[in-house]
Amino acid sequence: MTSQFDRRQFLTRAALGGATVVGATALGSLAPEAAFGAVGPQVAPGTPDPSFAEGRVSSVDGSMILAKGSDGTLNRIQTTSGTSFWKLTPTTASAVQVGDGLYARGVRMPDGSLAADALWLNIVSLDAHVVTLATDAVHLDHQGNRITGHVVKGVSAAVYNGTPAVTDLSMVPVGGHVHVVGAWLPDTAEIQISTVYAKV
Amino acid sequence: MTAVIGEASWFCCGSAWGPCGSAGGGACGNCSSSKHQHAWPAASAACTSITDPAACGISLTQRGCGFVHYVTNLCNGKEVGSSIADCGPNTHQFCGERTCCGSTCGTNRIVDLTASAFSAIASLSSGLIPIKVDVVA
Repeated sequence: MTSQFDRRQFLTRAALGGATVVGATALGSLAPEAAFGAVGPQVAPGTPDPSFAEGRVSSVDGSMILAKGSDGTLNRIQTTSGTSFWKLTPTTASAVQVGDGLYARGVRMPDGSLAADALWLNIVSLDAHVVTLATDAVHLDHQGNRITGHVVKGVSAAVYNGTPAVTDLSMVPVGGHVHVVGAWLPDTAEIQISTVYAKV
Repeated sequence: MTAVIGEASWFCCGSAWGPCGSAGGGACGNCSSSKHQHAWPAASAACTSITDPAACGISLTQRGCGFVHYVTNLCNGKEVGSSIADCGPNTHQFCGERTCCGSTCGTNRIVDLTASAFSAIASLSSGLIPIKVDVVA
């Protein structure tokens, strides 16, 4: 059985160029779910997590992403063959673009960079009020700001009352409250909808 | 306090990009996406009057800024300790909302974690997860 520590060792070595990528699957799943079982340093409640970074992508150079954090910190994020990427759907490193917002979780390297286990691009998680509903969009009010949620055919889904997700968003309650996970379209008030959670 | 079972999501706090750009430091003034923090519906009497968990039949102990809760993802058993930094979620807006992993479910939204805290126990793309909230690890 592969230990959780093995995965972190692999990611660390991969970031340092010392791991044989072909052998990665021998360490077990490299899916995001496995990353969250990885053993990391204990983080005191209320304090920053050194295994986490956020910001907007300012450059991409090979496997190194530079992202300017909201606090002004310049984060160096190293992707590896073991990194999982999300941008509306699971994707690959080629989806990373300058201007994207990101959250990353991984292993802090001795040089200060973050070897990423998982990288979420433009992801948003919003409680919102449904203003109007159309076949191709859900218009939302989030804390007084209007956001257009685009329905992406074959991708956008709704979860009604905790039941399995369906692609039919027609029961999203106009005038009601929903929770939405989606992908922000940079520098707009628009998102692409991944999942709408609604009680009907 | 007996552990409370419910749902958790993640939310914007502190300065960040996108729709989070207008999020401030939360009710406690120090909330940040990079810190292990959370919003609690009973962060003060005024907060409770807004979030109104009683409307869903839930009684939550009032806890103030900085109080530490331990949140366990019931899908995988992973736990994160985080401190109160904001008031929320608006529990009454989601009465009866339920999230399940197989036969394990959480009903009613009782905590919002920061992105760093949530991602320590689940993928951010999960959206909602069933959780247990306790005051001890």
